[in-house]
Amino acid sequence: MTPTVSAEGLSLHYGGTRALDDVSLRLTRGVTGLLGPNGAGKTTLLRVLATAVPADRGAFTVLGNDPGTARGRQEVRRRLGYLPQTPGFHPDFTAFEFVDYVAILKELTDRGARHREVRRVLDEVDLGDVRGKRIKKLSGGMRQRVALAASLVGDPGFLVLDEPTVGLDPEQRMRFRELIARAGEGRTVLLSTHQTEDVAMLCHRVVVMAGGRIRFDGTPAELTAVAAGRVWNSAERDPGAKAGWRTGTGSFRNVGNPPAGADLTDPTLEDGYLLTLDDAGVEVAAA
Amino acid sequence: MRLTGALLVPVLRTLPWRALGAAGAVGLLIVSMARLTDEADEMLALNLLRAAALAFALGLAFVLDDPARHTTAAVPTRRPARHALRVALVAPVTAAWWTAALLLVPDGIRPPVGDVTLEAGAAFTLALAAASAAIRLTQAAEPGQAVAGAVLTTAVLGLLLWPGRWELFVGTQDPKWAAAHDRWGMVLVGAVVVWGVCGPEPLRRRVFLKPTRA
Repeated sequence: MTPTVSAEGLSLHYGGTRALDDVSLRLTRGVTGLLGPNGAGKTTLLRVLATAVPADRGAFTVLGNDPGTARGRQEVRRRLGYLPQTPGFHPDFTAFEFVDYVAILKELTDRGARHREVRRVLDEVDLGDVRGKRIKKLSGGMRQRVALAASLVGDPGFLVLDEPTVGLDPEQRMRFRELIARAGEGRTVLLSTHQTEDVAMLCHRVVVMAGGRIRFDGTPAELTAVAAGRVWNSAERDPGAKAGWRTGTGSFRNVGNPPAGADLTDPTLEDGYLLTLDDAGVEVAAA
Repeated sequence: MRLTGALLVPVLRTLPWRALGAAGAVGLLIVSMARLTDEADEMLALNLLRAAALAFALGLAFVLDDPARHTTAAVPTRRPARHALRVALVAPVTAAWWTAALLLVPDGIRPPVGDVTLEAGAAFTLALAAASAAIRLTQAAEPGQAVAGAVLTTAVLGLLLWPGRWELFVGTQDPKWAAAHDRWGMVLVGAVVVWGVCGPEPLRRRVFLKPTRA
């Protein structure tokens, strides 16, 4: 399958800190999850791929266009949707007016067609009923959906979502998962998140980052398999475990290198993620 | 052209009218003192106009503020075009306000209009250039407050510490008046250059520091 995004050796630093270090990846159709602790470089990678900030080194293409040239960047932006980590709004605009404003900036100049498109994306994120409401009167979850609607304007082939479910209650998160899954049908979605459940439920592929580098790139099942034979239950906290916690049943669940004869249990994606970080030298307890 | 037409109304609504209104009102209040004081002379009128221009420049520092900056970071409409539209919409308001400020000064003590307008234009452009630089160099969506603070500080320090031989703030009777206004012209050109350089989004970042591992 031809990749939607193809990146080679992307590096970027802020001051003396390297935020991205020689990152190469290829993204194809479907939802790819991007996991990593705070400061791993996830947001930086997303911003680079969304053309919001240029890299210091390396190159990438999106849908065959090179954003390293002014014309190429313009082309990429015509076919890209971007939901930043903390989307900002003009609070006095209604949901419709704001998405319409973004649609104009996305060069949809025909008024009738643009308004149809704005209604379509607002309906797609279930905001059709409140499209005339001012953004300052909407809840946090609704605002997130306004931003998602704005990113979906123009039916982009590549969608970049930076922690879209952060700060949402469980019901809103479920709703958002549904929206992202729908958005992933027929397009390439890169989803940055701290929620391993989001990745397990939505993604056909997962990338783990730490220290500005890619530490894992594979399927969620492969990430889970990293922890195969490395998760066990015990009556007391095992001091040799990389991480351990008391479960609801009163026993301890441990992750790391099990002692001989340990009561091994099935790993989860989160176990695989924690051990991947540990293998990369990241303090697991802090992850 | 169609794009500009479609953007007119939404951009008009996103402009910082409150900041501009407050700055404009303060500026006019300052200039009106020339009418309220019996002992007003040309020097006082000049300084009042300078203070009023500075007040309005502080309002202009907010013109490029955009709370939706990050949400619209990856749209194809280029940043310089969006900024140019904002400035174009504010320009007639600025011109009308400055005309009103000049008219508030009684005829007899009004300083040379062209020269004092050059000073005001340089101050306005400096504020816009500083806002543009703040957007280029930082991730702030609304740098207006910081930019206004920096413009005010620069004005005060400039007044106190500017080298005498390159004096900018001279009186109308001062023999250095013409030379000072050549320098004001250079300040204006410099501000336009900074504005022009900071406007476009870079395709590459420049590396000044050697990075370490994250």
